[in-house]
Amino acid sequence: MDQGRTHRIRRRLLKGGHFLGLFLAMSIICLPGLWVVLNSFRPTVEIMAKPPVWIPTELNLDHYRAMFGGVGEGGVPVLTYFWNSMIISLTSTAIALLVGMAGGYAFARHRIPGKAAIFVGLMVTRAVPGVALSLPLFILFGRIGIIDTHFGMILVYVALNVPFTIWLIDGFFRQVPKELAEAAEIDGCTRWQAFWKVEFPVARAGIASAGIFAFLTSWNEYALASQLTRSLNSKTMPVGLMDFTSQFTLNWGGMCALAVLMIIPALVLTFLVQKHLIAGLTFGGVKG
Amino acid sequence: MKTFAASSALALLAGLGLASGALADGEYAGVTIDAKLIGGQQYEALYARIPEWEAKTGAKVNIVSQKNHFELDKEFKADIAAGAITWCVGSNHSSFAPQYPQLYTDLTPLLPAETIAGFVPANIEAATLDGKLVMLPRAQFDVSALYYQKSLYTDPAKAEAFKAKYGYDLAVPETWDQFRDQAMFFADPPNFYGTQYAGKEEGIAGRFYEIVVANGGKMFNDDFSPAFNSPEGKMALQWFVDLYKAGAVPPGTTNYLWDDLGNGFASGTIALNLDWPGWSGFFNDPAASKVAGNVGVAPAPKGAAGVRTGWSGFHGFSVTEACANKEAAASLVDFLTNEDSQALESAAGPLPTRTAVWDKVIADAASDPYKAEVLAAFQETAKTAFPVPKTPYWIEATNLIYPELQAAILGDKTVDEALQTASDAVDSLMRENGVY
Amino acid sequence: MYQMRLPPWLVLLLPAFVILLAVVAIPLVLSLYSSFTAFQLTRPETITRWIGTFNYGKAMGDANFWAAFGRAVLLLTLALNLEMLLGLGLAVMVAKVTLGQRLLRTMMMFPMMFSPILVGFQFKFIFNDNVGLLNNALQSLGLTDVAIPWLVDGNLAFLAIVAAEVWTSTSVFAILILAGIFAIPQDPVEAARVDGCTPWQTFRYVTLPFLMPFIYIAMAIRSLDVARAYDIVQVMTAGGPARRTELLWTLIGRTGYVDARMGYANAMGYIAILLSIVFTVYFFRKLTTARTSLGMGD
Repeated sequence: MDQGRTHRIRRRLLKGGHFLGLFLAMSIICLPGLWVVLNSFRPTVEIMAKPPVWIPTELNLDHYRAMFGGVGEGGVPVLTYFWNSMIISLTSTAIALLVGMAGGYAFARHRIPGKAAIFVGLMVTRAVPGVALSLPLFILFGRIGIIDTHFGMILVYVALNVPFTIWLIDGFFRQVPKELAEAAEIDGCTRWQAFWKVEFPVARAGIASAGIFAFLTSWNEYALASQLTRSLNSKTMPVGLMDFTSQFTLNWGGMCALAVLMIIPALVLTFLVQKHLIAGLTFGGVKG
Repeated sequence: MKTFAASSALALLAGLGLASGALADGEYAGVTIDAKLIGGQQYEALYARIPEWEAKTGAKVNIVSQKNHFELDKEFKADIAAGAITWCVGSNHSSFAPQYPQLYTDLTPLLPAETIAGFVPANIEAATLDGKLVMLPRAQFDVSALYYQKSLYTDPAKAEAFKAKYGYDLAVPETWDQFRDQAMFFADPPNFYGTQYAGKEEGIAGRFYEIVVANGGKMFNDDFSPAFNSPEGKMALQWFVDLYKAGAVPPGTTNYLWDDLGNGFASGTIALNLDWPGWSGFFNDPAASKVAGNVGVAPAPKGAAGVRTGWSGFHGFSVTEACANKEAAASLVDFLTNEDSQALESAAGPLPTRTAVWDKVIADAASDPYKAEVLAAFQETAKTAFPVPKTPYWIEATNLIYPELQAAILGDKTVDEALQTASDAVDSLMRENGVY
Repeated sequence: MYQMRLPPWLVLLLPAFVILLAVVAIPLVLSLYSSFTAFQLTRPETITRWIGTFNYGKAMGDANFWAAFGRAVLLLTLALNLEMLLGLGLAVMVAKVTLGQRLLRTMMMFPMMFSPILVGFQFKFIFNDNVGLLNNALQSLGLTDVAIPWLVDGNLAFLAIVAAEVWTSTSVFAILILAGIFAIPQDPVEAARVDGCTPWQTFRYVTLPFLMPFIYIAMAIRSLDVARAYDIVQVMTAGGPARRTELLWTLIGRTGYVDARMGYANAMGYIAILLSIVFTVYFFRKLTTARTSLGMGD
């Protein structure tokens, strides 16, 4: 009886602790981000106030209005940046997934001499810091004339994402027993049909999770984009953030407004895909 | 091909009959000028005038890059390295210009003499490198003047306490020594600070440079060997150290750059602030600044040698050496810096670089006491302003100097050690590059 | 006329090879070459001035370089371990929730939506000593009456950077570990409970070994793109003040682009790449070992 009570108390404490811990963790995760969102609605004088203004006395859309306004009134060509970012991120993600599916399939289904070395070699290409790559890439791209184009950026982001995509998708295809595809072939499917009908559906979750990682990487990348994009032709949103800085000034409120526009699509996409994400990473992780 | 020949013949004809400065209609028909122009809200209003130039000359302007100056600087360097200078007109800045000696062409032969004579002579002087006029300054002239909170000087209790402590009357500082006394006097950390300074990169190196000069010293000797490890230099660095040690500046000041300074002063927590003209409107705008209505502006203080600090710079436009049609490019540069363009830009606050526009701006401000005060202070400071040393290694030298200045300010090194290290590093930089 | 037949795996991998060759390998060869020259951006003719290993010698003999190197290793070690521990804790807590887990998982990934450059600005303003969020909060709560110089003090500045880094990247660990938790077969856990193991023992000896591959995957991924920290650090402190937060990448970026000494920067860059490779290969090996011990290797 007594033991039961302490047990109950312990359980309740544990539950309370769990709730409190979760609450704290989520606060730390979300507050700095929500602070950015909040700042985008506040006048600069309040953001930078000292003593601080904790309860906003005024919320308005001035930063957004200014951002969408004309040149000289604080306007920034957000819609163009948004469009560029979307095209570049979506296309490069799609291509990275296709290339990654081919590569992952090769790793999962074929005997490759020196497999481990090739694999690590592929991964290590990701380890090259953007600072070290940007100039030679620039010179190279300059020679072939693809500086400041969507194509150039897409190419770079595909390269950035392919290693990880291959890795995740490889883990997935391994989950599909080889016999399944073979059975389908015996039933009269071509190899290609067997792939689409049998192996692809099982790997879908993995592909989705690789996709979200690839998309977020492209969507948020700055170091290379700042070198390889130059004008409205291809400038992406992270590069556009720097429009709010000039030699002497920095418009933090405006920057926050653009940041909100950057976060929303990423958030929506993540929310939609994250069911697959967990499942996808599960398979990808365990089997090497 | 045919149209090209026709249009260049037209351009030639038009060019022959051209009276100096005037834009003949369709003079550059068919020409396309690729331009890399500085981006950012403050700078872009001017570009709205470009269609006017296009309509007059028949040429097209194609903006191929729009970024802030630091990004643009990287881009220029990458272009030079890649041999990819496929553009004609670029934004330039007097502090960056010495780094790319071969990039830009001499504008003197491309422009009528009276155009150049319309600019403030000191600006033209600063835009001339090795005898080449590498850019025409736009109405973005920068020198720092002293912004202060007026209410601090109208409080009798403060005035009395100050006099008792320092033995002279409390008034807006005219020397850097007075500035230091007052900054320490006003400071009440963590809620209020006497002053602040940009603590990193070219920001602090530039401030150090101007105080060295104001103390009667030099940054470099004539052969560009370092000269700042001198009594004047030590005195200058000591000034930064004293303020930091006394807690008269925010403790984070060594990580501040210009935006932090501007936001800091606007937050009402800084008494004295040496800052750029671009902030004058922001500081007096109630929607952006808590000190609006309480801002006074005075000329920059003087150093030990009685010289006013006046590290200055300005934006301008340049024409590349690789440009195929330099005349058309120069015409665009001329247009973007002519009286109408400068009047447009300076109406928003920035300082002009043409004599006539200065007069106009001052006349326009007569009805606005704050604006008049701002202009008077900056004009006085501009009179004795000076640009950065004209060496291609200035930026690189500042990158060697500023960490040492920071080390002295934060107490990692003594003033003597810090300047010795910095001086040695700059010396070996110059030697390595064969400067001497 | 004969036709060369490539093995099918090569055909499948070819697109990946071609793209990586074009975007990574060829540029790397270019920069490797330039690291042996006195290449200066503003004087392109210097790319032909072969100076052998001068740049490498200079880097090796430069105390500032080694300090930046050491600091980068420290940052990697500290940040990765913290991220791992926090990510583990977070994942365990989130896994226990039954109601609204989808929302929680999305919230957990919130920082991943932030571009590193934005994170830099954000934390620069949070850690500002005068008008920053953190000092304002501490002062309003009466916890301190001094302005703490978060971005200036030697240790605090480094910790501030670690904090920003941890904030952005813990999500990656959490999401991977969460995936691992869902993949744990229930039988061994049940068996352990029946055998009278305490919850802690069950976690330590049953759950954790199973999670290790996931942790190493996260480690490998993170050590691969930890150079992303460059954006954050560049904005927050730019390696300053007085080189207190100087990392390899900020030093390289400044030397290459601001000082225009690309040859020297590339030499340092190569040493930095080696560092990333060592970390990555290390975690790959750990991953393989962990998988083998679980009998999942191939």
